[in-house]
Amino acid sequence: MSYKFLETESPAWVAEGLITEAQRARLLARYPPEAVQAVGLLPLLGSILVGLSALSVVAANWERLPTPLRLGLLLGSLVAAYAGGEYFLRRGNRRVGHGLIGLGLVQFGVGIILTSRLYQLVGYDVSGLLAWVVVGVLLSYLYTSQTLVLLPIIIGAAVQTYCTQALGLFSYATLGLVALGSGYRWWRRPDTLVASVLAVGLLWQAALWVVLSHSKITWFFIPAMLVYAAGDWHRDRPAARALQGPPLVAAYLFALGLALFGETDQYAGLLRPPVLAYLGALAAAFGLSVAGKRQRGRLASLPDWLLLLPGFYLPGGLPLAVATLVVLYAHAGSVLARAHRSGEAEQLTLGTVLFVIATMVAYFKLTWAFLDKSLFFLIGGVLLLSLSWYLRRRNAQRLAAGVATTVGAAPATPSASPENGPAR
Amino acid sequence: MLTRSTPSHRLLLRLLVAAQVLYVLGVAGAGYATTAYGQHIALATEPVDLHGLQYESFVRLRYAAAKAPLAAWRGASPPQPHQAVYVLLATGPDSLATVAGVYAQELKPAAGQAVLRGWVDDVFPRTLSLRYNLERYYVPGDSPLRLGKTGPPLRVQVSIAPWGQARIEGVRLLKR
Repeated sequence: MSYKFLETESPAWVAEGLITEAQRARLLARYPPEAVQAVGLLPLLGSILVGLSALSVVAANWERLPTPLRLGLLLGSLVAAYAGGEYFLRRGNRRVGHGLIGLGLVQFGVGIILTSRLYQLVGYDVSGLLAWVVVGVLLSYLYTSQTLVLLPIIIGAAVQTYCTQALGLFSYATLGLVALGSGYRWWRRPDTLVASVLAVGLLWQAALWVVLSHSKITWFFIPAMLVYAAGDWHRDRPAARALQGPPLVAAYLFALGLALFGETDQYAGLLRPPVLAYLGALAAAFGLSVAGKRQRGRLASLPDWLLLLPGFYLPGGLPLAVATLVVLYAHAGSVLARAHRSGEAEQLTLGTVLFVIATMVAYFKLTWAFLDKSLFFLIGGVLLLSLSWYLRRRNAQRLAAGVATTVGAAPATPSASPENGPAR
Repeated sequence: MLTRSTPSHRLLLRLLVAAQVLYVLGVAGAGYATTAYGQHIALATEPVDLHGLQYESFVRLRYAAAKAPLAAWRGASPPQPHQAVYVLLATGPDSLATVAGVYAQELKPAAGQAVLRGWVDDVFPRTLSLRYNLERYYVPGDSPLRLGKTGPPLRVQVSIAPWGQARIEGVRLLKR
């Protein structure tokens, strides 16, 4: 509630007899206006402007500066950022302190890049930038800061992108550092935002590997599902679901693509890796995931794996499209069933959306060719309207029942509520 | 995991910062040593496009040595795109280097020869296109290239360090 709201609304409260004038005055005194904070921002803004001016002077004259001076500027700003960060941390200003230390880390990368450019030096491997990732991961262990954990994940993704695009090779060391270094850091101190960024960063690197090695894109799902399985083993439920979100979204989009384009055998042919190797690797990831789910008592989320059924080994054409649709329906149904059991409104919405998407894909896919077009749109519209009516009624009933049982019985068990499915 | 500003924590941070400073200095040292102790060769380029200089601080160089006949390939298996290769260059006294062979394995150059590392960019029926990662030249502010409008062919002075790293030392207009 803001001070302004209190100030404008409270006279009416006095008039209606909710509070007395004295109480109104005390309430206003209890929440002082926030003008002080805005004034506190001024020195920060001022120093940012001064910093920008210094930066633009240096950038404009960079080429004309003698080499030792350029090196001195790079190293000086690096040391200054770290020293400033440590100074603010000791004075108890954690946000500025961590921000400055993150700036120091960025300065290190800039230093490496600009120095090699200064000498027009060619790198043949990633070793130049790998040091950046190493330092980033080490720093994330030195501090308890979300920013400093996120930075090495993002830097790792950037370095891997540069490496695959400019040098044409994949840096397994970078992948390992992010997966094990940042991964273990997250494992020890789980956090939902870090989990999602970590998963996206690892999937990005996996995608780069698939593109570079010209592998079948289905191989992408082996590392993706290993990330998912790691989530199953983690004790912290929300953080684990956040880690599993990106792999599930990827798997869902893939299944959707298969349902839409799987009819042409040409597309399905692009997806078929060697049967035994792929299925073996997928089964291994599945085994890991199931073991983790059993250990943590989360077997209810097992239907997530429906999306990974390797339907693309079926001959392309209508059978494949139909089989994928059945899988999509089964998955949406499993999400809905889980949501009904746990009585979570968010899950119900998600399940409904998935169900409607599957229905629309099925309808467009299967009937476009056979029906007269006006009839096609008419039947489709009626179908969706009746579906929405049915689902809304069902949800209302279920939620009402859920509220009744929650109120009647003891507090609901939060452990039986898998937080989220694909559409995160 | 350390959370407080303890003396050991501060020591760790200082060590880490010192390592970063040394690392950047090491990169600079490698650049300096490549010129000081490296082998110097000259490569010819095709005419460069100077229009990009209006927007960027570098020009793209297309080396004559970036195209090699497929007959120059010396490897057990056919060349693949993205493959790292060792290009044997024949150098004369103050003359432009020419490709003598493209090897899949590392090799020792004889007198009058140099080895430059590169990558296969593309494989055509009769030729190989190669990349040396020397294609970007950051043009200094006082370079004559900044004044010119037409794209001249260039003579690029490259030095190759004993450990294989290479850098552009300078660029001159190629006069025939």
